[in-house]
Amino acid sequence: MATRILTVEDDERIRTAVKLALEDEGWTVEESETGEEALAAFSRKAADVVLIDIMLPGLDGFEVCRRIRKDSDVPIVMVTARADTHDVVAGLEAGADDYLTKPFAPKELSARIRALLRRARASDPASPHLRFGDLEIIPDEGVVRRAGQEIHLTKTEFKLLVELASSPGRVFSREVLLERVWGYGYFGDGRLVDVHVRRLRTKVENDPANPQHVVTVRGLGYKLQA
Amino acid sequence: MKRPRFLPRLGLRARITIAFAVGALLLSALLAASTWGFTRQNQLDQRSTSATTLAVANAENMAQGINAATPDLQELLQAQPRPTGAHPILLYEGDWYPADPSYGEDALPRELIEVVQGGDDARMRYTYDGEVYLAVGVKLDTDVDAAYFEVVSLEELEQTLETLGFSLIAAALVTTLCGAGLGWWAARRVLRPLNRVGAAAKDIARGDLATRVEASDDPDLAQLAESFNEMAAALEQRIERDTRFASNVSHELRSPLTTLSASITVLENHRDDMPERARAALDLMVADVNRFRQLIEDLLEISRFDAGVMHLDVYEVRVAELVMQAVGAATDADIPLDIDSELAGVVVEADKRRLMRVIANLIDNAAKYGGGATRVELRQVDDKVQIAVEDDGPGIPDEDRDRIFDRFSRGLSAADRRTSGGEGVGLGLSLVAEHIRLHKGRVFVEDRPDGRSGARFVVQLPAARGSASSNGNSAES
Repeated sequence: MATRILTVEDDERIRTAVKLALEDEGWTVEESETGEEALAAFSRKAADVVLIDIMLPGLDGFEVCRRIRKDSDVPIVMVTARADTHDVVAGLEAGADDYLTKPFAPKELSARIRALLRRARASDPASPHLRFGDLEIIPDEGVVRRAGQEIHLTKTEFKLLVELASSPGRVFSREVLLERVWGYGYFGDGRLVDVHVRRLRTKVENDPANPQHVVTVRGLGYKLQA
Repeated sequence: MKRPRFLPRLGLRARITIAFAVGALLLSALLAASTWGFTRQNQLDQRSTSATTLAVANAENMAQGINAATPDLQELLQAQPRPTGAHPILLYEGDWYPADPSYGEDALPRELIEVVQGGDDARMRYTYDGEVYLAVGVKLDTDVDAAYFEVVSLEELEQTLETLGFSLIAAALVTTLCGAGLGWWAARRVLRPLNRVGAAAKDIARGDLATRVEASDDPDLAQLAESFNEMAAALEQRIERDTRFASNVSHELRSPLTTLSASITVLENHRDDMPERARAALDLMVADVNRFRQLIEDLLEISRFDAGVMHLDVYEVRVAELVMQAVGAATDADIPLDIDSELAGVVVEADKRRLMRVIANLIDNAAKYGGGATRVELRQVDDKVQIAVEDDGPGIPDEDRDRIFDRFSRGLSAADRRTSGGEGVGLGLSLVAEHIRLHKGRVFVEDRPDGRSGARFVVQLPAARGSASSNGNSAES
């Protein structure tokens, strides 16, 4: 089955050009002009990746992202105007897995999408059960339980948790996590890691403000402990 | 034409202070001198008059005494009233009878004796034995040849006058100092509004465009404050408009550029289906759209600096690792890295993306204008971490070393630029300067230390704090 990509972009020319470029990669592209249209299209038929422009008339990109995220762990890429505003952090907090800034090169976009698709499909069948206090991770089933209760993680959050769990107690720098989870080289944006860790904590920690499992090691990175 | 100056030019405040001091000095010196002169004259006259009156009265007594009987001259002399410091002397038939043995004939000036012997009364002020005296001589109205003299010491008066003189000089000095103080204070008051305006102008120049001068009640100063504030407001508006314009233009270019980028990618995907001529045209377009994209990104970055909305995503970054990665990402050329091994674990607080841009831009710059970077150096200098990029191009002449960090200045002549393929937009180095300024660091150009031709761009970043120990988790390559 062909990979389906849902794009939300109000500028018709950009939308068409991006569609052409993505179709050249062999993907099926469904376009929508507004957030409302995109939500309707997504509920009709789920996509494998969603590409959302933040600046939309009516429902903005953050809200579209939040609503999709409510009942789907589909990979989401945000398109922002600038890399250094709080737009990036807000987009990631709304549930996006990654972001791009305009004007982006389509090759960069397809690289991001491919990385997300890999993450969505990757599951190492040989991984053992992992236990960290009240936290239980079953990598081959893609399931995480806290105190016996199953919790929902996005693909990226799950990948991040499994990565940290692969070497309990070891400190992972942001660069390492960026490379292993997002497929970035050295120069990925550290905020991707920080926001995802924050999101992960709200789900796996009893008290996210006072984390017991996903611990920050100042100046070095993060580690997972029981 | 400027007059040659032998003294350093004094400031306005110093000049006002000096003028006040000199005025006070002249005035007080004049007053002191005239006071002293009048007092002296007055006192001397008084002393002379009283001494003369007494001497004349005594002389009359003496004459009566001598005429009355054969007198005991000494006893008669002693009987005359005399104030302290007065010494009577009698000349009787050519013999001298001093009342006080230490004040005899010798204590009298010769001219006075001669005048008195000639028959006239006389008085005279003179110096004897280092002290000042007044002598009065009266020819006695007797049958015999006799004259009465009185020597009066003026030393006490002289001392009084001397003390008065010192007091007056002291008073003049105090007055001068007071004058200087007053001048200094007045100058400060007068200059205070100017200083405020100066400080405000400095703030504005530093980039704080909202600075205004406090309005003043003083009508003389209100106008200065008002016109300064008007100027500042106009300047602020103008700069804001320019900034907004640049930012809006760049933003407007963003969307078409995204379309262009995507469309060109599609064309590139189908390059093989195109005729030869279309392919050549496409290649030109691809190159220039990429350049265009870089330019817009740089312009956006610059307009963010101008709008003051730039903020750094600061992380603790291992600087040695960053330099290695940045150099590797910036160029395929094999540039020798000279990294101080002491810096292996040292971290700096930096925005990784921007620091990488800094290094990439310096390497790009070396490639475009210096024939490619020949060496990248990283070492600790005092409490700073220093990154240097060297090339073996023509170098940068002294007079261009500041200008080269200006926007759209390439520091090279048009002819040189043509040989570099017309690439580069002249924003790279100004972005370096802005990024480094945000990092509270410093960037400059210097000669290569080995004396060979070429430029050496140096970036200094502050305070590499203690090195974070590596847990081996960074060794990923």
